[in-house]
Amino acid sequence: MKHPIPKDRPVIARLEGCTKQYPGVLALDSADFELREGQVRALLGKNGAGKSTLIRLLTGAEEPDTGIVTIDDTPLSASGAQRAAEAYSHGVRVVYQELSLVPDMSVAENLFLGRWPGRGGMIDMQALHEEARHALDSLGLDIDPQQPVSILSPAERQLVEIARVLPGKPRMVILDEPTSSLADAEARKVLAAVDRISAAGIAVVYVSHRMNEIRQIADSVTVMRDGRIIETVDVEGADTQEIVRLMLGASGKEHDAVVPAQPGPEILRVDALSVQPKIADVGFSLRAGEVLGIAGLLGSGRTEILEAIMGVRPSSGGTVSVDGKPVSGRSFRKMKDLGFGFTPESRKDAGIVPLLGVDENTVVTDWSSVTRSGVLQAGLIAEATRRVIERLHVKTARTDSAISTLSGGNQQKVVIGRWVHAGSRVLLLDEPTRGVDVEAKAQIYQIVRELAAEGKAVLFVSSEIEELPLVCDRVLVLREGRIAEEMTAPDIHQDAIFAACLASDAA
Amino acid sequence: MSRLGQHMNELSLFAAIVLLYIIFGLTADGFLSFYNQTNILRDAATIGIAAWAATLIIIAGEIDVSTGPMVAFISVVLAYLIQWGVPTVGAFVLAIVIGGLLGSIAGALRAYFDVPSFVATLGLWSALRGLSLYFTDALPVSIGRNDIVDMLDRPIFGLPPAAIIMMVLFAVFWFVSKRTAFGRSVFAVGGNAQAAFLSGINVRRIRVTIFVLAGMMAAISGMLLLARLGSGNATAASGLEFDVIAAVVVGGTALSGGRGSMLGTLLGVLVITLIGNGLILLGINAFIQEVVRGIIIVAAVLANIYAIKRGAAKKG
Repeated sequence: MKHPIPKDRPVIARLEGCTKQYPGVLALDSADFELREGQVRALLGKNGAGKSTLIRLLTGAEEPDTGIVTIDDTPLSASGAQRAAEAYSHGVRVVYQELSLVPDMSVAENLFLGRWPGRGGMIDMQALHEEARHALDSLGLDIDPQQPVSILSPAERQLVEIARVLPGKPRMVILDEPTSSLADAEARKVLAAVDRISAAGIAVVYVSHRMNEIRQIADSVTVMRDGRIIETVDVEGADTQEIVRLMLGASGKEHDAVVPAQPGPEILRVDALSVQPKIADVGFSLRAGEVLGIAGLLGSGRTEILEAIMGVRPSSGGTVSVDGKPVSGRSFRKMKDLGFGFTPESRKDAGIVPLLGVDENTVVTDWSSVTRSGVLQAGLIAEATRRVIERLHVKTARTDSAISTLSGGNQQKVVIGRWVHAGSRVLLLDEPTRGVDVEAKAQIYQIVRELAAEGKAVLFVSSEIEELPLVCDRVLVLREGRIAEEMTAPDIHQDAIFAACLASDAA
Repeated sequence: MSRLGQHMNELSLFAAIVLLYIIFGLTADGFLSFYNQTNILRDAATIGIAAWAATLIIIAGEIDVSTGPMVAFISVVLAYLIQWGVPTVGAFVLAIVIGGLLGSIAGALRAYFDVPSFVATLGLWSALRGLSLYFTDALPVSIGRNDIVDMLDRPIFGLPPAAIIMMVLFAVFWFVSKRTAFGRSVFAVGGNAQAAFLSGINVRRIRVTIFVLAGMMAAISGMLLLARLGSGNATAASGLEFDVIAAVVVGGTALSGGRGSMLGTLLGVLVITLIGNGLILLGINAFIQEVVRGIIIVAAVLANIYAIKRGAAKKG
């Protein structure tokens, strides 16, 4: 834990009364923000609280509708692409969450990508390696600048990404969930690098939800909610419950809690499942008619559990039993034949086939039921699709409209619906409401409840904690690769889930 | 996209064919003669039969450059089989099996060992050409008189058998691509292999199968080549793979996979064949013919891309 930074240190970045409106959303509402030299400020808030907008104003990627952004005593005045260049020239640097390195180029080349030292198109390799060495040393990294990025571990890549912002004269570095894809041991290396950056007098904005990380490296926390900065508190003496309360607001009112279903027979049982390096010793059981939620922070291994069950990702230990019988040599098709359906986290990359129609995107899980003597029957396909469309309230002009013309929510319903078509009795839904509008979200909750009422078993993974109490009969909270807590309806409360996700020393 | 928009590509290709008929009909002597028309059909069969399978391969997001050497190799193998006294029908069946097996090598390399299909079929391309040249010393392997083989080159009601076989196979592939789970799975794999896999489609089996089909079609082309030349020929069908790919691409099938149609390929085959035929009749220098063909292929695809972009812009 850091002590508060004295108030006499110079201010590096300041927002005064900044408001940003997007069509239909007030993303940021007259926000005031101040960051001093050498400060490490954690930024906390739920999805959509306004964190990204705040960051985009600091980096000059966006202009506020009203209000002033001041970096290093100079108000940003340019607009468009120049604004970001202006902020950059005042020393604002961002480390992006998704890795942006070229894998087959060397660490040194990546550090100076497109800005290689040299003249007349010739790269001065010696200067390149020296400067790279210097940047790596200043973070205390023992990485050979000449080796290709492709052989580095995920943590080392993240560290290179951080080292990349050091050349030039950075005054403020923004890190957006830099440890979310890392296992705990690896995350520590990143934290050590952040410590070094702030020790050099550079201000740091650190977006993370891992409370123990925040306690280690930040001196203060800014909590955001609904586009507003709620409060900035010193980490010293702040208590996790209090921070959770600030994030959720007083409105902690919850919708009608789920009436726990009459659980049917156990269908799925997972014992001591481990998936290197994120999941160690996870066990649970799932009954027919039950919706089991899995909560956890980004990178806590939620997806890995589903993928390991489906045989898409190798597990390093443990057993998965279906109907009481252990399933050995799991593969996707084997699990499908056992009645399992899986909807992936990324609808666009792994869910829909954009060039095909709603109909074929639906029946793709089971062609045989729409085939007679080896020939697909247009009538049966349309009928099967219509059944799914009606049952899942998919809004589409025709059964054969290209799925890419549908809204995200309706696409997601089709991806779920294809497993209804296949007659799956266990549904593994990975972030089924991601990138979906509010109305579609509510519909998806209702669909999931209806499917459960029909006797299907559902595993519901979500990073939007507030939706779990609305859908789940039970919720497992995943933290540091294990199940940290289990809650049962009607005693599922989002503040309790939040606290359990965030901290190892909660309560 | 509207119903009409989906067939925009086919309509414009059809218009291009009509245009080619008008131009060559007016300028090239004998272009419209019955004899030349049957010639066009026979030439079309050489490209077309291989192009049906190639369409599935390209829709699945793969590529096959081994067609020419595969056809020549099979024609050589067939000629030897017949020389050795293997009953002709048996030799045909064997040739199709061999074609399928050769295709399965490329398919398995792609599906199970992640070798890009371009590389896998490039290897086949080189190895098969080399093998047939080695076996034959680059000399034709004559089969003498053979009633069944000869029958394959004797017109039926004025139509070359090759053209009839091409059209029958077209109907089969059209049907398979539109109305069978296998055909639609090819589209799904090409459109989003990850999503196809996560829907339970056996992506590997699809990938192997399309290359097996391509090998079998090459075998049929090899038979027709044998019938036409009266001998197995290691140097024949050179460059065929590029005509095939050009026909498929001109037909509107996306090299990136997921989009395409058999009807488009049929029209593409006709366009490529008509251009070749017409330029020969016009007596244009053989080398310049290649240049003109190259320009027309690129122009056709460019026009297609432009049409798609404009369609997308209008929709937005």
